[in-house]
This record gives sequence, structure tokens and C-alpha cells, in this order.
Amino acid sequence: MLRKLLFLSVMMLAAVRPALAADLADPKAEFKAFRDYFTSRFPKVPLDDFVNGPYSMDEGLRKQWQEIEEFPPYEFAVDKGKEMFAKPFANGKTYADCFPNGGIGIRQNYPYFDTKSGQVITLELALNQCREQNGEKPFSYTKDDMAALTAYMAFTSRGKRFDIKIPDDPRALAAYRKGEEYFYTRRGQLNFSCASCHVQSAGNHIRTEVLAPALGIMAAMPIYRSEWSGMGTTSRRFTSCNSQVRATPLPPQDELYRDVEYFLTYMGNGLPVSGPGARP
Amino acid sequence: MISTSAGIAIAALLALATAVSAAPSAGEKLAFDRGKGNCLTCHEIKGGDSPGNLGPPLADMKARFPNRADLVAIISDETKRNPRTVMPPFARNHILTDREIDAIVDFLYTR
Amino acid sequence: MRLPISLMSIASVAVLAMTAMAAPADDFKAAYAKAEAASKQSAALKTQWTTTVATLKAAKAAADAGKFDEAVTLAKEAEVLAEASIAQGRDEQGAWKDRVIR
Repeated sequence: MLRKLLFLSVMMLAAVRPALAADLADPKAEFKAFRDYFTSRFPKVPLDDFVNGPYSMDEGLRKQWQEIEEFPPYEFAVDKGKEMFAKPFANGKTYADCFPNGGIGIRQNYPYFDTKSGQVITLELALNQCREQNGEKPFSYTKDDMAALTAYMAFTSRGKRFDIKIPDDPRALAAYRKGEEYFYTRRGQLNFSCASCHVQSAGNHIRTEVLAPALGIMAAMPIYRSEWSGMGTTSRRFTSCNSQVRATPLPPQDELYRDVEYFLTYMGNGLPVSGPGARP
Repeated sequence: MISTSAGIAIAALLALATAVSAAPSAGEKLAFDRGKGNCLTCHEIKGGDSPGNLGPPLADMKARFPNRADLVAIISDETKRNPRTVMPPFARNHILTDREIDAIVDFLYTR
Repeated sequence: MRLPISLMSIASVAVLAMTAMAAPADDFKAAYAKAEAASKQSAALKTQWTTTVATLKAAKAAADAGKFDEAVTLAKEAEVLAEASIAQGRDEQGAWKDRVIR
């Protein structure tokens, strides 16, 4: 009798045992949970629309976005990027020589985990690697030249669905986890994590600025931001988000930032490339 | 030439105008200062423009927080009460001094 | 030969004055060194706050302008901020796992 009671109580305890912090699901399951969280929280938003960030959050904002797309403020960047992309380096080679498919229509595959070098390669990093391999000086990750190149490459890939892979390599999973950890960790004197704004407060507004949902948040990069009166690369966005919460930013394209981009873009798999984008 | 009664009326109106547009209190200045409380970024507060809505509107404060210490605690470190909060811990992270928090609470009690 | 008394008293007053002036500058040097060390530690841990860096900078600027009392206050404030950012990093270790969307 006692044994039966003991057995029953152990079983009951096991049933109500709270999920241990260590119980992280694999990326595929986390991807589904992430997507389901946002689609159930914003049931009126068609899945593909999430890539429009704040503009996806209500009908009035969506109309604004459509108006902006008629005279896109990033057009000049795309044109400049196209010119830059075609111009050969001093050694006669071009960017096309560094990328699959000549660099056209490939945005949706970035970032990827490079098993040879054991690190995440973002589009921005790949572009500067291409330059340096061909005897050119790298561009600043936060300024207009890089933004123009990535704007052009995004533009040629519009509509293609993000397809970020996590190869069967413990280092790739580790990079995903590091990016995930960064995303959910509080930082800065203001004590915000990325999730504080882009998960918990998605769709709400700080002063007049509507916060974008984290689902698909990388899809529109690079962006023309009215607040900046200019283009912003992913590096610019990450570093400025850090300083806004009073956290000293990491160096642009720091390994940890690339891990964050890896995690976030993976979470937006299946959504269409919408870059370059326009934001308030 | 202004009559005495008209003069008195004008003086009274001026006094009233001054009283109504009295300078904001120290607490109000701190609350609305982006480098200090910056409360409007997340909260609607009467007298402030373009508020955010990450937190609830700050109204009926005397009725909602009859115990002053509760309000001070929320501003000082709301993570103690709600670990998931997005409210910055103004005292724990030394964003505001205790005196500044007191001044802001005084102001909030007028809302 | 003995120096005239007036010259000696002037000299001793000058020495006393210089000693009194040196103390705040030394106080600042000590306070700044402590704060800078803490700030560097927070940077190494990737938990540094921009406000720590700005306050340190302001402390140095005050000292350069000879405002040593203010400089010491600012340096001590910077140290407090750096320590708080290190504590934040410590508290946040592992906290992220509970927040992952499941």
C-alpha cells in the first residue's frame, strides 16, 4: 500500500515538475514556437506581412507603408549599389566573382554557418571579405557604401524566401544558442533585452514609434530610416539599438552580433526578402 | 486712460494667468526629461505629449497607489515585483537618485 | 648663513600650500584609477554601460579643468555605474533560458 502511494506521489510530482531552465527545445521546435507566438498574438496580420515590421502592426500603418513604397526613399541606395557592384576592383575581378550566382538573388541564404572557418558569415562580412581578398580596403559596416551594396543585393532577391540552415555541426548550434542568449538577455543601464521591445512590446509604441515584431525583423534590411535621413545597415541598427538602451555597443560585425543575426534570421525562415526597407 | 476697476480686473487676470501657467514642478521636469525619468516614452501622463504605451497610463495615482512606498518601489526596481517587466530599475541601475524618485512621486500624485 | 625670517616663512607657506593642492589631485587619481579598472572589467565582460564611459570622461574633463572635488565625485559615480553593470551581467547569466518562447 505504502509502495503504491509512494509510486503515485512520485508520478504526480513528475507531472507537475516545472520545466527546467535547461530544457531548451531544438531550433526547429523553437522556430515553430516563435512563429506561432506572433501569429496567434497578431491574428489579423497575414504571415508574409510581418516582414514590414511596424507597418504590419495595424491597417493605418500598412497604408502608410504602401504610400512610401510608391516613392521609395531607398531607391538611390539601390542605384548606387548596382553601380558599385558592377565596377571591377583594381585587379579586374568583381563582386560577382565572390558569390554564388554572381551575387544575384542570394540574400535569402544569409547569414550562413561556414564550417570551414567555424563562424557565421553575414552578407556584410562576405562583402568585405570579398574586397579584402581582392586587394581592396574594407568598407565601414555602418556607413552608406556597405548599405548601398546590401540594398542592391536585397533588391535583386526580393520575394525569395529566407532559408537559413543550421548544419549538423555542434559549432553551428552553439552559434545559434549564443545569438539566442544575446537576444533574450537584458543589457544597458535601461535594462532591456532585444525581446523586451520586439517580443513583449511588439506592436506597442515608445513615444510615437511603433515597435516591430521580432518575427521577420531581418527581412527588410538594410533600411532607409527617416529618423536617420539615410540608410542603415544591420550593423548600424544593432549598434544603435545597444546605445539606445545605454549599453556600449560591440564592434560592428562582432562574432556575437553575427550570431544574433543568425538566430533572428533563422526565426524568420520562410518569410520573403523585403529589403531594402523604409522605416520611420 | 484705464479706470481703477478696469486696472484691478486686468491685474487679477494677469495673476490668474500666472498661477495657471505656473512653472512645472521639479518632479514634472524630471518625469518629462528624456535623460532622467523619461516617463512619457512608455506612459501617458496628463500634460505630456506623444506618450508611448508600453506601460499603463499614469492617472488616478492617489487612488491606485495610496501607499507611497509601493509607488517608490515600482520606480526603484519593478523587477522585484514583476521579473518580466520592461520598466527600467531606476534606483538599482542608478538612473535616478532617491531624491529624484521622491520628486517624481510627488508629481505623479498630482495626476 | 641663515636665510632672512621673511624668506623662510614665505617658503614654508608655499610648501604648505603646494601640499594642500596636491591632495585633491591625488584623490582624483586614485578614484579615477579604480573607476577605470571597473569600467574596463565591465567592457571585458561585454556588460559596459555608455553612461559609465560618459561619466568617466566627464570626471577627467573636470580634473583637467582643476575642479578636483567635482572630478572625484564623478569618478566615484562612474565606479558605481561600472559595478552595477557588472552585477547586471552576473544576474543575467542563464536568465535568458526561461524567457525563450516555447
